[in-house]
Amino acid sequence: MSDLVLGISAYYHDSAAALVCDGRPVAAAQEERFTRRRHDSAFPARAVAYTLGEVGATLADVSAVAYYEDSALKFRRVLATYLGAVPFGLASFRDTLPGWWTSKRRIHDVIRRELEGLALGPVPEITCRRHHESHAASAFLASPYESAAVLCIDGVGEWATTTIWHGQGTRLKPLVEIRFPHSLGLLYSAFTYFCGFKVDSGEYKLMGLAPYGEPRYADLIRERLIDIKPDGSFRLNMRYFEFMRGQVMTGRGFEKLFGGPRREPEGELTRREFDLAASVQLVTEEAVLRLARTARALTGESRLCMAGGVALNCVANGKIIANSLFDEIWVQPAAGDAGGALGAALAVAIDRGAERAHVGTGFDAMSGSLLGPAYSDDQIAAYLTAGGIPYRRLEPAEMAAEVAKAIAAGKVVGWFQGRLEFGPRALGARSILGDPRDPQTQSVMNLKIKFRESFRPFAPSVLADDAKDYFDLPQDSPYMLVVAPVAEAARLAVEADSDLTGLDLLKVHRSLIPAVTHVDYSARVQTVRHRDNPPYHDLLLALKQEIGSSVVVNTSFNVRGEPIVNTPHEAYTCFMRTNIDMLALGGFLLQKSDQPEWKEELDWRTEVPLD
Amino acid sequence: MRRALLTIAYVLLVIPAGLVARVVRDPMRRSWSRGRQSYWQNSAD
Repeated sequence: MSDLVLGISAYYHDSAAALVCDGRPVAAAQEERFTRRRHDSAFPARAVAYTLGEVGATLADVSAVAYYEDSALKFRRVLATYLGAVPFGLASFRDTLPGWWTSKRRIHDVIRRELEGLALGPVPEITCRRHHESHAASAFLASPYESAAVLCIDGVGEWATTTIWHGQGTRLKPLVEIRFPHSLGLLYSAFTYFCGFKVDSGEYKLMGLAPYGEPRYADLIRERLIDIKPDGSFRLNMRYFEFMRGQVMTGRGFEKLFGGPRREPEGELTRREFDLAASVQLVTEEAVLRLARTARALTGESRLCMAGGVALNCVANGKIIANSLFDEIWVQPAAGDAGGALGAALAVAIDRGAERAHVGTGFDAMSGSLLGPAYSDDQIAAYLTAGGIPYRRLEPAEMAAEVAKAIAAGKVVGWFQGRLEFGPRALGARSILGDPRDPQTQSVMNLKIKFRESFRPFAPSVLADDAKDYFDLPQDSPYMLVVAPVAEAARLAVEADSDLTGLDLLKVHRSLIPAVTHVDYSARVQTVRHRDNPPYHDLLLALKQEIGSSVVVNTSFNVRGEPIVNTPHEAYTCFMRTNIDMLALGGFLLQKSDQPEWKEELDWRTEVPLD
Repeated sequence: MRRALLTIAYVLLVIPAGLVARVVRDPMRRSWSRGRQSYWQNSAD
């Protein structure tokens, strides 16, 4: 019988479950994809049920359950934070202590109770791994490397906020760490909050906003907010941060430093927010580069693995590559806390004697990060038939050709194929696709399909073998976690745009693929190989035959504030609510013009909270 | 009632303990040292 280990992350944000079989991830999903609550932090009951169901197992078949952090140690850090925040931490103390005292500090009991409630069999032994160990394991043990430096950077787990590890074979050795409250993730989140975006959710918006601004606050940040040493270690100046005291990130200190109160959520974006974003992004990149150099120096390795929320900062990841600090980097696609479930399970599996069998193949263990639920054509047909939904059934080659033709004609296509992605990025299983050559695509997809802010860039997918024609990217980027410059050959000669600032920069067409070229000529690239996602690869091949280019706009299949769609029904609902022209739902092609009128009693946009 | 008890506990226990802790050794290690070479801590510590 195979050795199954179930990993769980929960109770902070992005709860998830992951199932590892003989040391290899076989199923993983975030709870939000089932409950439809973005970043859901509840116990991942449905994700657990899914992962077990995926392999036809029950809890009786599971050898061990691995939780992604040490709640007792975390509770001690919370207590130390109460002491450190006096006399200003009363609100935080009153709000959070009861939860910790009654349940969270005894996480074994909580997890056991929740698992028993699922009635999926007897609950096996439950073990905890430290938060950063879970991140490090998710990065290294799933990577294709026999040995590597491992860098984990996030907000906070127990105490550690930044750690460097040395991975060799199945062994992960912790080397050095930075501890709370000094946190690069919390620094970035403080600026996210101050610029009016949601913490633990809007950080990627701040990253997308940065190229619109000038880093005129960078010196101020270095002088007042963070002391970064040449080896990348750092401390924050806690006089300017409020996160130890209560439920907000910044207060009067930030207001005095940056000339006024924080931007209200959904308020107008001004030059200040653009420049703050550019400044904190620059400082973060400087710190990450120094951390990467130290990781190399401490380990002597030529390859780097990364995880933790800050590893989702794909601009900083791109800088590590551009500066040739390592021969190659690999970032765990579920780099945030969801990936902790996988890391904890992998760490426990290795302890139980599992091998990293995938290393010899040269591939990583993530199966393209397509580890979530799939729906068979029979299931989809039953759904379509029951709903009286018009469709055409196509063979895979016909589907690829038809969708490619539609994209070439400027249509926007919903692409629902195979297993759902694990992690925050849509990678060609639950994606909305468009033509990157059309300058209007960016605004149309932002405003009429995603219903999101106009400044936000879109990312391209491209066949891995074609990537060099469009991007200066010296390695694969299968999980869309690296930003690279658009290649000179793909850029257009444009008139000097030095007079343009802020969102006006969007008006300039900078390349042959303007819809995926950010205002600083960068792009967050996904390179696609057949082994990772055959249907998506074949679609890009068909697109290349159609238009001579395999670059496509790839954005997640959802609207703003909603998790990525999971089921055929969610995909069809999103298709009908938005201006998507065509839906490729497994082997079935749906044209918007063929569909019956879509009616809802309430305005769905009021039901989906803004992110 | 619970809020009142927590407030009393905070005033009578947490604040004095926190002030003493900060005098003896800041549990958050907040001070900057421009002259220091590194803020790294060994993971084994």
